[in-house]
Amino acid sequence: MTTVQSIWLSLNSINALSGATKFVGMENYVNLVTGDRFPLVFTNTVFFVAAFSILNIAVAMGIALLLNNRLRGVNIFRAAVFIPALVTMVAWALVSRFILQPEGLLDFLVSFTGAEEIPWLRSRWLTLTVIVFVQLTKNVGINVLLCLAGLQAVDRELLEAAETDGAGRWARFRHVTIPQVSPTLFMVFLLTVVASFKVFEVILILTNGGPGYETNVLSFMIYDEAFRRHDFGEASALAVILLLMIIVVSSALWAIRKKLVYAEND
Amino acid sequence: MISFVFLGPILWMVLGSVKSDAEILSYPPTFFPSEFKWSNYAQVFELQPFARQFFNSVFVMALVCVLTVIVSACAGYAFARVKPLGSSILFLVLLSATFIPPEATIVPLFQLVTSLGWIDTYYPLVIITVFLHSAPIATFILRQAYLGLPKELGESARLDGASDLRIFLTIYTPLVRPSLAAVVVLAGWHSWSQYLEPLIYLRDTEMFTVPLALTQFYDPFAGPMWGIQMAATTLSVLPVLVLFLFAQRHVISGLTAGAVKS
Repeated sequence: MTTVQSIWLSLNSINALSGATKFVGMENYVNLVTGDRFPLVFTNTVFFVAAFSILNIAVAMGIALLLNNRLRGVNIFRAAVFIPALVTMVAWALVSRFILQPEGLLDFLVSFTGAEEIPWLRSRWLTLTVIVFVQLTKNVGINVLLCLAGLQAVDRELLEAAETDGAGRWARFRHVTIPQVSPTLFMVFLLTVVASFKVFEVILILTNGGPGYETNVLSFMIYDEAFRRHDFGEASALAVILLLMIIVVSSALWAIRKKLVYAEND
Repeated sequence: MISFVFLGPILWMVLGSVKSDAEILSYPPTFFPSEFKWSNYAQVFELQPFARQFFNSVFVMALVCVLTVIVSACAGYAFARVKPLGSSILFLVLLSATFIPPEATIVPLFQLVTSLGWIDTYYPLVIITVFLHSAPIATFILRQAYLGLPKELGESARLDGASDLRIFLTIYTPLVRPSLAAVVVLAGWHSWSQYLEPLIYLRDTEMFTVPLALTQFYDPFAGPMWGIQMAATTLSVLPVLVLFLFAQRHVISGLTAGAVKS
């Protein structure tokens, strides 16, 4: 219902302060697409979602594989990975900003390599990557747990059978483990993609979308337009675009699920 | 080494919380505080009604948990067993609701909250959160749980003369307890970390929730007061960590139980 409302609002010109509403059709969309801010924000969103989703699944699976071995201190490591997931995003972002600030801890650590001071929060692609990293370290713990649960459900007999047939470590991983965890991996990936469109707190706290619109993404721009610039119409148009992107991407993923996932039977 | 990436920031936060402003701004940074400035913690409570804000968060979280369990247990059971007319379409609508990010509907919701006069009240943080965010996913988890139980249980109870409500409450619901625990964890955690909604629905510092309060520690020149900020952040993290240490096993199994299909 609120979605329908969003679509209706996006067709109006609304000033939130005066409350004046006027039907303007597609004007909000036209203004957005022809403006110079939207292409920037759109590319940022695509970059963020792609980089975050791919890195997240790779890191989560990598750590899960490490944890699946019977190593010493594995429980401590497991808790370490999971603890940031318990901290609220705002707290994690604040601490990250504290570490990333000019002349902060990270600058200090990097200075040992003799590198120049790096503008962690003041350049476009680097800063977006930093944002990906901050969001990732906070939430990857949950995905690690999910991957681990998937890994532990892998049929041990199949692995042993493959080993007696002379399959090496990589071959066993590629042809026995991966197909069996693929449903889990797919669900984790799909959920991450959807969740990564919602990134908000890190952006607000680390960069405020700036400098200019260089690190702004759609979900943040909606807030910015609606509650700082008081333009509800344009914010709603952005909301509709965000929704469309999520629908397109998740249904595309769902459509190619059969190719990615082995033995899907539901 | 990898652990450090995850625990390092938390360690740095705790260390920073007892450093003086001069020490925090010094470069190269000192690792261990040269003197412990415990007054940072006192300042957190002086600059803002932090105790009240903490209470707000806990209160809202408790209400969200209770309401989510009630709503989603009823709805989940209905979808799994009662199956009213049109329930499959309703279920699809519900599932799609979990895919809509809060940002996408925040404008109409804000208008709704304003027109109901709910700005600066607990209502939007509890009611909208439950019905839009935590109950849909919880209903899905509980539907799966109820579906996993044999039908014969209810049928034999009915032969013994139990009413529908009794079958739901005393036979099926106790059996889905692990999923209920997962639902409580997820709902509580979601409510505790919410930021966008409080940011928009709350104006009065007295009504702020913890995440919102954390971002308010600035000096008159809009520079962050890092020591106090880190003290407040440490305080916000502490209860969750303590809780986690006590309930580690349950939290982890609860989260995986809800999320992976068996």
